[in-house]
Amino acid sequence: MKKIIISALALVLLSQMACQTPEYLNPSTISQSQAVSSPDGLITLCNGLQYRYSTGGALSILYNATAGAGLTTRELNVLNVGNIEEANLATGGGNVNNGNGVVRNLWTQSQLVRANAELILANTAVTDNDPGTKSGIVGYAAIFKALSLGTLAQFFEQAPIATGNNAAFVPRVQVLQEAIRTLEAAAAQVATAPVSANFMGKAVTGIDIPNTIQALIARYALLAGDNDKALAAAGKVVLTSKSVFNFDDLTRNPLFEASFGNLNVFQPASANLGLTGALTPDPADKRLAFLTKVSSNTAVSPVVASAYYTANNAAVPVYVPGEMGLIRAEAYARKGDLANAVVELNKVRTKTAAQDAFGLGAGLPAYAGGNTAEAILLDIYKNRLVELAFQGFRLEDSRRFNRPGPGAAGAERNRNFFPYPRTERDNNSSTPPDPGV
Amino acid sequence: MNNLYKKTVSCPLRRLLWLLCLLTVGQLANAQSPIRYVLKGRILDDNKQGLPGTTVVVVGTSVGATSDADGNYTLPVTRKAGPATVAFTAIGYETLRQDVTLGTDEAITLNVSMVAATTNLDEVVVTGSTLSAPKRELGNAISTVRAQDIVQSGSGNLINSLQGKVPGAQITQNSGDPAGGITIRLRGIKSLAGSSDPLYVVDGVIVSNASTNVSQLALSSDVGNSNVGQNRLSDINPDDIATLNVINGAAAAAQYGSRAANGVVIITTKRGQTGKPTVTFSTSFNSNELRKGVPVNTYGKQFGFPALRLYTIGGVSAAQIAANPGTTTTGIYRDGTTTQLANNLVDVTRYNYFDQIFQTGTGTDNNLSVNGGTDNTQYYVSGGYLQNQGTIKGTNFTRYSLRARVDQRLASWAKVSVGLSYANSLSDEKANGNVFYSPINSVNITNNIYDITRRDAAGNLLSVEPTRVNPLSTIEDMKFSQQISRTIGSVQLNLTPFKGLSVDYIAGVDTYGQFGKNYIRPYPYQAVSGLPAARYPGGFAANATNQVMQFNNDLNVSYTTQLAETLKLNAIAGYSYQYFQSDYTQLNSQNLAPFIETVNGGTSTTYGLGYGLDRYSLSGLFGQATLGFKNFAFLTGAIRRDQSSKFSPTQTNQYYPKVSGSLIVSDMSFWKSIAGTSNTFNSLKLRASYGEAGNLSGIGSYARFYQFNPAAYLGRNTIVPGTQLANPDVQPERMAELEFGADLGFLNGRLNLSATVYSQKISNLIVNRSLAPSTGGTSIVNNVGAMQNTGFELVLEANPVKTTNFSWDFTTIFNSNRNKVTDLGGLSVLDVGAEGTSGAPVRLLLNQPVGVFFGTGYARNPDGTLLLSPSGFPQSERATAANTGTTVFIPDHSGPDGQPNTKSPTANIIIGNPNPKWTGSFSTNLSYKKLNLHVLLDAVQGLDVFNADKRTRQGVGLGDYAERELRGELPRGYIFGIYNTQEFRIDNGSYTKLREVALSYALPQLTPAIKRLSVALIGRNLYSWDSYTGFDPETNAGGNNDLIRGVDFGNVPIPRTYQVKLTATF
Repeated sequence: MKKIIISALALVLLSQMACQTPEYLNPSTISQSQAVSSPDGLITLCNGLQYRYSTGGALSILYNATAGAGLTTRELNVLNVGNIEEANLATGGGNVNNGNGVVRNLWTQSQLVRANAELILANTAVTDNDPGTKSGIVGYAAIFKALSLGTLAQFFEQAPIATGNNAAFVPRVQVLQEAIRTLEAAAAQVATAPVSANFMGKAVTGIDIPNTIQALIARYALLAGDNDKALAAAGKVVLTSKSVFNFDDLTRNPLFEASFGNLNVFQPASANLGLTGALTPDPADKRLAFLTKVSSNTAVSPVVASAYYTANNAAVPVYVPGEMGLIRAEAYARKGDLANAVVELNKVRTKTAAQDAFGLGAGLPAYAGGNTAEAILLDIYKNRLVELAFQGFRLEDSRRFNRPGPGAAGAERNRNFFPYPRTERDNNSSTPPDPGV
Repeated sequence: MNNLYKKTVSCPLRRLLWLLCLLTVGQLANAQSPIRYVLKGRILDDNKQGLPGTTVVVVGTSVGATSDADGNYTLPVTRKAGPATVAFTAIGYETLRQDVTLGTDEAITLNVSMVAATTNLDEVVVTGSTLSAPKRELGNAISTVRAQDIVQSGSGNLINSLQGKVPGAQITQNSGDPAGGITIRLRGIKSLAGSSDPLYVVDGVIVSNASTNVSQLALSSDVGNSNVGQNRLSDINPDDIATLNVINGAAAAAQYGSRAANGVVIITTKRGQTGKPTVTFSTSFNSNELRKGVPVNTYGKQFGFPALRLYTIGGVSAAQIAANPGTTTTGIYRDGTTTQLANNLVDVTRYNYFDQIFQTGTGTDNNLSVNGGTDNTQYYVSGGYLQNQGTIKGTNFTRYSLRARVDQRLASWAKVSVGLSYANSLSDEKANGNVFYSPINSVNITNNIYDITRRDAAGNLLSVEPTRVNPLSTIEDMKFSQQISRTIGSVQLNLTPFKGLSVDYIAGVDTYGQFGKNYIRPYPYQAVSGLPAARYPGGFAANATNQVMQFNNDLNVSYTTQLAETLKLNAIAGYSYQYFQSDYTQLNSQNLAPFIETVNGGTSTTYGLGYGLDRYSLSGLFGQATLGFKNFAFLTGAIRRDQSSKFSPTQTNQYYPKVSGSLIVSDMSFWKSIAGTSNTFNSLKLRASYGEAGNLSGIGSYARFYQFNPAAYLGRNTIVPGTQLANPDVQPERMAELEFGADLGFLNGRLNLSATVYSQKISNLIVNRSLAPSTGGTSIVNNVGAMQNTGFELVLEANPVKTTNFSWDFTTIFNSNRNKVTDLGGLSVLDVGAEGTSGAPVRLLLNQPVGVFFGTGYARNPDGTLLLSPSGFPQSERATAANTGTTVFIPDHSGPDGQPNTKSPTANIIIGNPNPKWTGSFSTNLSYKKLNLHVLLDAVQGLDVFNADKRTRQGVGLGDYAERELRGELPRGYIFGIYNTQEFRIDNGSYTKLREVALSYALPQLTPAIKRLSVALIGRNLYSWDSYTGFDPETNAGGNNDLIRGVDFGNVPIPRTYQVKLTATF
């Protein structure tokens, strides 16, 4: 018996040897230093940028940009007022407060993508001996940094453009200029070495890097008022090329998943995209049938969106070719070159579905309206409303084309800019006052 | 070499142990030839009845026995001849010390009579795994619940059966599901980031009470921060419990340090007793029914036209009027705009869908135990089978349990106990409340004008309102189940090598595997209904497994010596090592092939999977010393040092001090001169304590790192940076508690009063603080907060009548706790993320209790009356400026005619508080001969519930307000008018429940084969006195989440239970 007890005691003693506290790490995650330590790590982060930007249903930037622009301009109609964030956007004015979920997600996800892209761009030194892969990484990161900055500039008067505590806000034109600067630097890198097969083999498919860089330079230069830069960049885009955000059953088309695939959140306000009066689309416009279809339950909603939102795996364009034509037309018109403006406008008006990379063709006759900048710009605007439907441009375009704003007679939008979300205001002392509406 | 050195220094205990070993061996060598004596006898109480459960111990040894049901005992003891003292202790009786002389006769008969105690100060209370002390020495209030208090509760769930029995505890059954979760909070909420769940210890084994979700995977992305699922304490069979001690944080500081902030529940299971085998068998049958329904609109009318959804609140467009001739509208003003609402009535047929989803469930609970033993070996073996159906069709909980406990004496100074329990729990569930395909919510969210029982030729259910799930689909076409295999094992070694010294060692393992199955059949009516993706229109299947292992290892060395004639010292040193690991795997797929109910049936493009691994360890060292002066003044001091892998090496060493004292005033010499020798005021004990404890669960194992996570994305490796930034300096939360109390005994112990006041300050509170997104993250785990709980507890026990045939006793408990957030790290408000799922605006606000509802309230005139809108309805208050972090605002009534200015933001108002002002209970036992009546009333008063379902029912048109609006009893537009004002959803959540009623009768002995036979009729939750408009104010849609409480969102109501129970002892 003694032996048993003594050996038991000895056992107890031995078991007390493990005195040091070990450190347990999560084997299912990696650290920042590990993630940026290799070209392959940076490529996985590039894919992460697109993942954060385009997927996650109602959390994604794609969803919130479409919702934010569409609901404030009556392009979209809320089907169930229980969706209070969306319903408040559709009501507009003071009902859109700094706690609004769409506004918050739009801001938060854009800032995160911007910061994540900066992290990649700051750590590309590990790719210096593989310039083609560096081109891919720099190009990809630049595209998403630009997309997130550009999205911020479309909805907010000011935004920070650098990561930090109490980050300073800069006016939206500067935000757009930062996007363009980033894209131009990437274009220079891509010009020195074409994107390598190594990068393309590891990156998510769908985005044509050189063309997307130019398309986004054109887009944001136009919004920043730099018409010459917009003209030049839009001219460089090969219109037959196609850049899309791809989805599948797991990482789903966010608009189909969260809204356009059901009858519970929002759908297009009408087959005319909610456009009335002078803005009513030409009934002959063949794009309308591409963009919406009759709903299965017309008591709930007369039409539902089709376009790029028909299935979980439906691809969403990063830009449509017609946007380039309309950018060039608008830039010419704003420069006073009306003849060239009409030439570019007609390319979009007369384009047929078969001629378009996405099957989006108006099939309309050439422009026959008045030869004034005002008349031509109105037709450009009307074409943007249809050609770029559901793509999150309507609030920005309504402002830029000086359409009746909130409070004005026949108001076509219920806000000019969104308020800064509370999560930023509460934690960043540099946050400027909210815009009135 | 360096390593070796480190190990040696970091284990000072080892040296102590070697010393001990040597001492032990030395002691053995001194042993002389002892004789084996057998002490026998009968123990009688004041009424000359046999007294069961009396502990008999030969003083100076750890050899003991317990008297049987008739008061007989047998105590074998092996020792040298000579004088000895035998101590008899029984709860409620004075300890009796009887001197005997052990001579040549080996059989000794010792019959004694015990005298009822005038005080309970000498009751021994468990204070830690192997530690115990008489009440008189304790500076803290520790409450004890005994087996007989649990068996009459009518519940098969241990924590349920504690409701109303523990001072300072608020115990809430979150849901009425048969395996539904329960939250227990001792003296309020302690943590903002982690759990406030106490630590549970069964026979020295730290057991898990986690609620890991394996069976509700479909909704995991819908529930936000709510913590859904069963608590794993449901695996413990209450029938195996002997006693349960509830120790609040500071008192447990020394023994459990880093894990003690939320308090500790120490559970002791039944042990075998020396003697012939005793078989106890109990069986019961119970039925569970819905206690109270909610009003449902039965008026066969509707506004507008039958297909008009949300007819009470939805505007009607010109196109809809054109398409539905006869539709007329009226303009209703709200929030600055006028909406056209239909005001014509059309005929519809209305149904009460609740009738289709509720049932009366039945259940049975059966337990068989055998216990007995010889001089040196005692055993207790039990088996249990519980089966219980819920009140929702298709829900049930089944538990098979086996338990064995063996105590083996190795020598007169050494004993080993081995405990092993196995439980197999199975449950069939329905979707948890937080989604629209839970049984209750599918009813709440659907206008009740559809016949949900209609089927097509193939027997498939048909669609109801567009985008809604047919409530019967949730019953027939969704299956969520889980099964748990759990083993809890322990080895305990108790040594008393020489007088005054005891060495106790415990190794315990709690290991379980959870396996969950989830299935949603593809909806046959999706083409018509257009259900959103979140409801899985193509069907969903998933499996998950969770493998958990917790290990703990405790060594305590205790030494008691008389320093001087009047001064006694008890010193304890202890070491503990604890390790936790869990491995969680889940697989899911969607778009299922017909008839296939498993993940195999999904389309390959929808496969999803995940693996999570959690590991942490903790080691701690403590020392404690108690000085006792003349057995009436005691002072205890303790310190503990903990190291945990959850914190970085620079932060890991945490020290937790404790000091407490008690003074038995009534044992001091002057007492008799003041109180005299009368029986009115027998005892007075004053106590005070201060202690600090930590909260290890306040932080995830990896929460201090900035983690980059892989994502499944289009077949390419993808890494997404986390949104939570790194904070390597995060420390455990710390709770400091100061407590004062007094225990008073009157009338020879017939009346006892115990009062405790406490103040807890929780500092270093971990807040998952939100960050400005421009920092590149959205949150960081930070020690920035502080919170306090202050309160008092009162327990009054009385035994007014006690005669041979008749006895009446009652216990009243009253608790009041005030919680206040005193620091949020510079923030004034924190959103806990409940609004997305339930609409409840739960916030943490500076200088307010945790989790208040801070949202839109009614606009009021200066005199407090409602400021009605031009349409005549209550409306939301507006403020001149948005008040996001403060309760202070200036109402903006600058609209036309003094109306709220709708261009201004809505005011944020504290519209409700889920923290009760007080809780209390009253329990009483009346017994006449062999008939006993037990009644327990349980009250939770002065709190609010956010009744999300109330509004939903009005909006879709099946609620009582909708009926009143249709009948014209409320003006048209009333629901629309108040719909956006969150205050509408606040209900008074106060209740007093008739928690337990038990009538039991001990049948006369019919045959010698059956020693005792009793039958009991038990009712549980029979009635509730409340003014709540939903099912039951005792509800928690947030599950075990501390911050989301008092939210009613699709929760299953707690059933009323009737039980018949038969207990027999052979």
